[in-house]
Order: sequence, then C-alpha cells, then structure tokens
Amino acid sequence: MAIALVLLHFHATQRGFKPPVPDVILTMAAMHAPARIGTLWQQRMETLREYEVIRDGNVFNTSFSDSYVLSSEHEHAEHYLKQLIEHYDGVSFNTVFSGVEHTNEGGVCFSLKSHHAIMDTSLDIDRFRTEILGDLTLVRGIGKTTQARLKARGYQTLSDLGKHPRFRVHAHQVLQRLSLGNQADIMDLIGSRHAKSHPLVLGTAGFHEPEDFVFLDIETLGLFSRPIILFGVGRVDCGDLVVHQYLLRDIGEEQAALIATCEHLSGDHAALVTFNGKSFDLPYIRDRLAYYGMGNGTCIPHFDVLHFSRRRWRGHFPSLRLCVLEQEICGIHREEDIPGQMVPEFYETYLHTNNCGPLVPIIEHNKQDVVSLSRLFFHLLEESYGCC
Amino acid sequence: MAVADVIGLLQKNPLYRNRVMHVETTEPEPAQYGTLDLPLPESVAGYLVQAGISLYSHQCDAINLIRTGKNVIITSPTASGKTLAFNIPVFTRLDADPQTRALYLYPTKALSNDQLATLQQMVQFTGISAKPAIYDGDTPQSKRPAIRKNARVVISNPYEVHHLLSWHSKWSEFFANLRFVVIDEAHRYRGVFGSHISMLVRRMLRLCHHYGADPQFILSTATLANPLEFATRLTGRPFGLVDGDGSPHGRKHFVLYNPFHDGIGERSTHQETKDLLLSCIKSDLHTLCFTGSRKMAELITVWAREDARRTSSRLAESIAAYRAGYLPEERRAIERQLKEGSMKGVVSTNALELGIDIGSLDAVIISGYPGTMMSARQQAGRAGRKGGESLAILVAHANPLDQYFMHHPDQFFNRSHEHAIVDTSNPYIISGHMLCAAAELPIQEDRDQDFFGDAFPSILVELASHDLIRKTSSGWVYTGRGRAADAVRLDGICNETFRVMCNGRLLETMDLAHAFREAHTGAIMLHQGQSYLVKEMDLETHTIRVSRTDVDYYTQALKDVRLTITGILDTRTICGSGCAFGDVEVTEQYTGYKIKQNDTIIGVEPLSLPPLTFRTKAFWLIPPPGTEQTVCDAGLDLAGGLHGAEHAIIALMPLHVICDRWDIGGLSSPAYGESGEPTIFIYDACDGGIGLAEKAFELLPELFATSHELVRDCQCEDGCPSCIYSPKCGNDNQPLDKKATVLILNALCCNAFKKNGSSNCLTSLEPIPT
Repeated sequence: MAIALVLLHFHATQRGFKPPVPDVILTMAAMHAPARIGTLWQQRMETLREYEVIRDGNVFNTSFSDSYVLSSEHEHAEHYLKQLIEHYDGVSFNTVFSGVEHTNEGGVCFSLKSHHAIMDTSLDIDRFRTEILGDLTLVRGIGKTTQARLKARGYQTLSDLGKHPRFRVHAHQVLQRLSLGNQADIMDLIGSRHAKSHPLVLGTAGFHEPEDFVFLDIETLGLFSRPIILFGVGRVDCGDLVVHQYLLRDIGEEQAALIATCEHLSGDHAALVTFNGKSFDLPYIRDRLAYYGMGNGTCIPHFDVLHFSRRRWRGHFPSLRLCVLEQEICGIHREEDIPGQMVPEFYETYLHTNNCGPLVPIIEHNKQDVVSLSRLFFHLLEESYGCC
Repeated sequence: MAVADVIGLLQKNPLYRNRVMHVETTEPEPAQYGTLDLPLPESVAGYLVQAGISLYSHQCDAINLIRTGKNVIITSPTASGKTLAFNIPVFTRLDADPQTRALYLYPTKALSNDQLATLQQMVQFTGISAKPAIYDGDTPQSKRPAIRKNARVVISNPYEVHHLLSWHSKWSEFFANLRFVVIDEAHRYRGVFGSHISMLVRRMLRLCHHYGADPQFILSTATLANPLEFATRLTGRPFGLVDGDGSPHGRKHFVLYNPFHDGIGERSTHQETKDLLLSCIKSDLHTLCFTGSRKMAELITVWAREDARRTSSRLAESIAAYRAGYLPEERRAIERQLKEGSMKGVVSTNALELGIDIGSLDAVIISGYPGTMMSARQQAGRAGRKGGESLAILVAHANPLDQYFMHHPDQFFNRSHEHAIVDTSNPYIISGHMLCAAAELPIQEDRDQDFFGDAFPSILVELASHDLIRKTSSGWVYTGRGRAADAVRLDGICNETFRVMCNGRLLETMDLAHAFREAHTGAIMLHQGQSYLVKEMDLETHTIRVSRTDVDYYTQALKDVRLTITGILDTRTICGSGCAFGDVEVTEQYTGYKIKQNDTIIGVEPLSLPPLTFRTKAFWLIPPPGTEQTVCDAGLDLAGGLHGAEHAIIALMPLHVICDRWDIGGLSSPAYGESGEPTIFIYDACDGGIGLAEKAFELLPELFATSHELVRDCQCEDGCPSCIYSPKCGNDNQPLDKKATVLILNALCCNAFKKNGSSNCLTSLEPIPT
C-alpha cells in the first residue's frame, strides 16, 4: 500500500517562526529499513578490532588485546595491499592461480597443490618402545620416587611389575593398552600420566607412517564465528610434502572446503599435526561444521607442535610463535609476508573489489605455515627419537 | 494492634492529620486452595506433604495449565508462591524423563542465587536429580563443561545467553532436550531492553528448532494490563494466562500522604518520610522504606538515626540503609537481620523490590511514587506478615503524577494496570540480532522470516551491501569484521557511546542522546548521588571528562526541536479532534543551558553541539474546531495552552503505558505546517521508535481524560511542577498558560463550552456533559 507523503518543516519556538515550505513529495512502501543501519553496524565493527597496532619497541605496552601487530609491519602490509591491487587490477583469477575446482557433497571450492622437500626422518622405534616399556610411572600409584625405589629393587620394566604384588594388576592393564596399539588411546594414556607435551607423547608418532600425518593450518576471517577462508593440509607422498590448499573464492564455498579437509582427517590411521590447533584450528573447524549442521568431526590423535615446542624451547627464544621458531630452528625466512592478523583485511578487500591480488600473500603465508609446521614436527621427533 | 496505633496517630495528630489524603483499607482474605487435574509423582507429592504445603488456587491453575503443554504467563502478585507453581511441573517432568532440560532466566545475580538455593532444596527433598547450576559471567571456566553436560536445570541471565548462543555446538545436547524456558520477573523486559530480549528469545528458539526441540515457556510477571499481548510479543508464541491469587492476606491499610497538601509544603518530603519512619519504628512496626535514589536512602537513614539516638542508641542501631552498591555480604546480613527481626527499620532503594526473600514486614513507606503502579504494588506488597495487619504509606513528591494520585485516590486504587510495551519492529534492534543470528546459523529466508518480522528482507539487503553478511547457497553467512555478539549490546539502540571519566577512571557509560542532555561541557552531572562538573566533552574520542564538585547549583539544557512528518500510518477522530499516528523525523539540538540555584536562574550559557536527527514514531493531534477560537476569545495564550497540554499528556502517559518520561518527547505549535493548524506531537525519543506512541494512540481517550483531571484539579493558580511544569522542558517552561490548557484538554474530552456574558469572564464557563 503506497502512502503519499508530504514533507514539511517547521520550528518549535514561537519566535523566528518560519513559514512552511514543502520540499519533496515521495511515495513510500509499507516497510523499509533505514539506510543508516548498515553504516552504523560497520562503524561499530571498526571499534572491535581483533588486534592492536603498537609502536615498534613498545611490546610491553599492549592494553586491550593479547594480539598485536607492530606499526611498522602494519604500515608495510597496508602498502603492500595497495601495490597488489594495482598490480593485479584486471587480471583474471585463473591466470594467477593454477588449481582445480574440487567438488563434493558440500558444493564446489578451489583446490591448489604444491610440492616441497622434507628431510628424511627415520625414527628409532625401538628406542621409543624401550623407553615406554621402562616407564613405570605409567601405572597409577607410581610416581617418580616410587619408580626410583622400584628400579633400585630390580623392577626395570612394566613386564617386571607383573611379579609385583601391589602393582601387577594395573601394570598388566597398562601393557594391554599398549599392545592393543590404538594410537589415540596410547596417547591418552601417556598424556594422563605425564604432561600432554611430554616427549613420550610425541614419541607415539612413531606408530604412524609418514603418510598418516595430516599437517593442518587454517586462515579465518576473524578470531571466532566467522568463515574459514583457506584450509592448508600437508601430506607426505613419496618422500615429498604435498600441500593441498582449499580456498574459498566466495563464502559459499566454505562447506565444500570443510568437507575436503575433513576427508583427510578421516583415514583409519590418520594423525593430526597442528601448531596451536588444540586451542584454535580444531575447535574452529568443529564450530564451522556445527554452523552448517554438518556433524561433529573426527577424533584422531592430535599432535600440537606448540605444546611440544614450549616444553623444548621455553626461555630459549623471545617468543614461541611459528614465525620465530621456523627462523631459529629451521632457518626459514619469509619474503613479503603479512602478519596473520591481517589476513581478514586482505581477504575482505578481495571480496569487495574482486581483485585477486590480496589472495596471493594469504596463500603463500598459509602454505609456508604448513611447511614450517611439518619441518618443526620432524625436527622434534628426530631430536627425541631419531636414529643417530 | 500497633498498626492501628500508627493509623490513629496519623489521623489524629495535627502534625500529620492534614497530610493524610486517603486511607484505603482492605479486609483480610483467607487462603483459597485448589486441586490438581493430574496427580503428582510420589517424590514431589511427598515433598509437599513433608513441607506442610497445600497448594493455593492460582498455583494449581498454573500447574494444571503448564502440564497441558501450553505456554503460560503467571501474573499473581509477589510472595504468592509463584516459584513453586513452576518448579513443580519442571520437577514432575524431570522425574518422568531424566533427559529433560530447563533454562531459568533471571535479571539479577541475587535472584539467581535465591533460585539456586530453592532448587537445591527441592532436589534434596524430592530426590530428583536436577543438578541445578548457575551458568553466568562468574562461573569459572573449569566448571563450565561439566555444567553444560550434566546440569538439567541451568540458571542464567540474558547477557550470558546472548553470548553462549554462538557456542551452541557445545550446548547441542542441552538444546536438543530443552523442554522448559522459565523467565521470572519478566516485566523487567520491556521498552528498549524488552525489545532486545524478545529478539534474543527468538534467536534461542531458532537454535532449539535446529536441534529438534520446541520448549514450553513459563513467564512470571507482576500484574499487567496486557499480559497475553506482552508474553506473545516477548516470545513470539501463544500463551495462557493465570492471574488469580489464592494466598491469604491480613487486613491492609494503604495511606496516601501528601506533604504538599496545601500546595506549598513546608518541609521536604524526605524529612516527612523520616518522621513517618520513626513513628512506625517507635510503635514497634518492622518497617521498610523505599526511596528513589541511593543518596536519599543514605540521608534518611542518617537523619532517622540521629533522631532515634535521642531516645535510645539501641533504637538508632536498628535502622540501616540498603542499596545495590553494598557488598553482597553486607546485603545478606541486612536481609537476614530483617528476617530475624533484629533490624527494625531499613531504608532502601528499589533494589529490594525484586522478589528476594526477606520475609514480610509490618509497614512499608514509599517515598515518592516509584514510576509505575506495578512497582508501587510490589513495594507495598512487602508489608504483611502471616495474617497480621499491615500498613503501607505513599509519601508524595511535588510532581504531577504523585500529586495526581493524592487528589484522585480512586485512580490510584482502582487503576487498571499499566501496559508493558515490547516493540518488535525497531529495525536498529532487529538488525543487530540478525547479525548475531547469522553468526549462529546461516540465515535462510523462508525458515527465518517468522522470527524477524516484516522488515526482514530489506534489512538483509542493507546488511549485505555493507559486507556484514554474504549470500551463499546455504543461506546468508555472517562475515563481519568483529564478533557479532560483541557488537550488539543488549542495552540501548545501536548508537555511539560516551565514556565518562573522572581522574582517568571510568565512571559510567552513556549513550549519545543522554550525554548531550546531561553531560555537555559545563553541566552538573549526578552519579550515585555525587555531583560532578563536566570539564570537557570530546566528540571525536567519545570521552567526557568530569571532576567531583560540591557546588549548590545545577544545570538544565535548552533544546531546540524540529519535526517533520514522513508518513501517516493511522488516524482517528476523538471528540472532533483529528489525531494521527505515523513516522516522523526529529531533529533535536541543544543550544544552551541554564544555571539554576534552587529555582532561580542565575545564568545561561551557550552550547555548540551538533544536531541529532533520528526517525521515530509519533502521534499528534489537532484540538477540535472552535477550541482555538474559544481560547483566543477568552484572551488566553494558545501557544501556552498547547504547550501546557503537551506537558500534562507527557506527565501522565506513564500511567497508561509503562515508560520513563525520558523515553518520550513532545512538541507543540499554534500553527504547524502548511495548514497552520494548532498541533501537539508526542514521539518516542529513540531512533526507530519503541512502541510507546503507538500504544498511547490506542489509549488516547483515557490519556486525555486523566491529563484533564490533573490540570483542572490542581490547586495552583498559574501552573506549577505538580501539573504543567516539566522538569525536562527544553524551552524553559515557556510559554505556559494554565487556563488555556484546561480549556484545550477539556475540549479533547468531549466537553464543549458554553459561554455567557463577557469573553473575559472565565467563571461563567461550565462544561456540558455529553
């Protein structure tokens, strides 16, 4: 029902009374949203920045956020973004990215593949086995001191405890679990008696073939409850590390990318390796699965390299972020990288302008994250249980 | 018969006698018990027997209705056993199906804690394993997973639910089995806050449906004029009503006490209150005194103690103040002492109005009408121990509403209740919740249209065009830069917020409109009873810097208002007056402020603040034809009459529609628009409108009638704060003409005038009854 309007003006106060002047005559539909709404919410969002930009050298003065970006990095990245936009103006997506469309029940997404060398790691599985079987503290009731006492009395291994009147039942249970060979269960067992970042937990990786590992890193549009825009999955194939990247060319491709990623996670012997994935990547994926009503995700053994790194290198370096560790331990140096916190801005620019330039550093960043992750992982394994 | 003593004192003692305007006595009522349609399980029935509880009629009505599966709103008065009325059906269901979950929502921590204690008691006595737990901002992280998994009854509050909905995958089992949502003290969820809560409820229901559940709602509120409408607006579902009260009452006396009986008032209301308090306490009545502000609560306590000390120091010690600012332990101590009887007099703010268990008292003194009949009744309802006589005294302040009741006691006692307004169509509010909803599950237009109303499609387009959501084949996905639940605050309209800082410390936050009005540069601002001078208002950084001050003057901003009609949605004619309701665009600009000492203006300063423009809803009216002529013929000021009528209508609108006077604005002109008609506008003072003008438009005849009575019966000569002077008039209460106002309001009430003799002789005017 159209309602005819007449716009009039008038003044409240008696003095200075202005004669009314009809400005415009409009017709208005029954219901419409005021045009200001979108702008207001956008402005509100601006105040919710998820990272803080701080002056270089001012690292100790962060106030509202644990996440910070140095102002030099920030400036550099903004400048870089502008350059990308200029450089890739009018360039088609398929010219820049050589990948394929990947289709599954979730729809379509874009899939890229790249190959990288990895070092040859051979684990001394016997060394690991001996250590485990000699770890008496795996039995409930035996702490460090008790273990020392028992070993002094000649109980060197878990099998030896089979003769011990008090501990033989529990020792038998532990041995059973170990021999059943369920990796996730063994990880749990060890993790329940030791810190979850204990080298023995890492050692259970020895039960897997290199091809079983799934190295995972995701890029998202924010810290929570927004789409994952890029999934990086590294697999070992014939001695090489193959990095599969599932990219969202548009938000509608998220479901397909989720499914493609979860396929990697569902093998019988698959083992997940991440950097801070226990706190971030995995809960995030679970949440996006629930968002689309897609079920709960899998429960495979999960090696979080951040935890092992902390245990191994705490105090050695000013920070334990991946970019620092990869430099110090693996000698990797990135060129033209952008801070992870700025990925959302770059992706949004791509969505907004349809210029695929901003995607370039996102994909590189993610790719390098996966590669570094795998290198760190194998390095740690080698250190603890490598054959020398 | 201590109560009778005090009443006798009030009515005979010359000090008090004149001020007692009315005493309303209600006879005692015995308990009325009811019967249950369906038998209760052993465990629950056994609990009732053990505790010696027989269920009252309204409790049985509620239980019966709930057990048929309907959504129910219970409006029986406070302390009538409403909690049991909904706990019983919930526990009954839990007994039958241990997987059942229930969510209880409370507006405050104190109430949540009370309810937890009650539920734990029930668990103990019935043996039904409900594992009740509070889940809110104070719940430690380590306890949360266990509560999500195991608790069958979760107690929480709207703010927590607003955030936890985005974690719904962690609550999947809870939502899948959610059978009951209990919202207690639901009348608090009205106005802007209510609109937010109504959207929150819809988001929650949307998630429940996603997990396959369709919970039943149980609302418990104070008495309202429109309970079913309110409940449906709040939740989007149909309801059944339970409104009786079978609980027993002793004889009650309600006294209307007016210190301004002669229009002047020699002493302040607060001193009068203090005297009444002491009289009650000295007659050994355990008394609770409600005041409108924390500062006043403290002051009255101090004065009362000083006076009491002259009699006995023990008496002085038995008087205490109570307010929300106190530490929980202090409050618990006072509550307990009240219950035990060692505390004889407590002076409180409205903090004690809510259903916290403090037992009952002999007398309640209410200093100043608390703003709604609902509050007044709840406060008065605190008086009355089991079957004993009780006393409630309302002490009037010098403002229109209070004085109106003093002169029209029948209006106070027979008043039909107020309407609680929940507006579900404000696009600013809806859009924020749509963003949250998009972040919880992709928005699907066909499925979600029902939740968000008619403006839904156009809001989607608007949000998408700003990259906040994006259309995909699964629906509209949220892509905003920040977390939606952080961007949407449950208080206020999406508007810029100012931080008020004192010595680098955050004192409070205010929204834009409030800040411009109360905290402009040079203003004297009140916070928790303490005065502050505003040194600087920085519009860029949205910061207001203040410093403590002890000056004895105050400030009042002057406002320029412009209004444009942008659409007419409805019209009606009342007694020849053309009235309309529709969309308007309002521009308010604060141009300066007065500096006042007591009631004298000692200075005026200019302000340079930008104008605030917003779109909202309003109703307006043009007095019946001939009114203008009559006013002019009598030599009265038309503009002054219209202005006075506008003030009277605004002053009395809260009587019909629950709102605060700051929620509405007004405008009058002797010659508006092209046609130059005399017009009065009343609009919702917030962006997008909040449903107040809309509701008032339906109730115009009543509104006109009460406004007319107020001004006509006021004993002042030319207008006073008790009738047509408004404390918030941006025009400095000019022009105002009381006689013209009476004429105009009279005409709006279908009373035509017949003149005889000279046009200047007002006394010859007499209303002709229609």
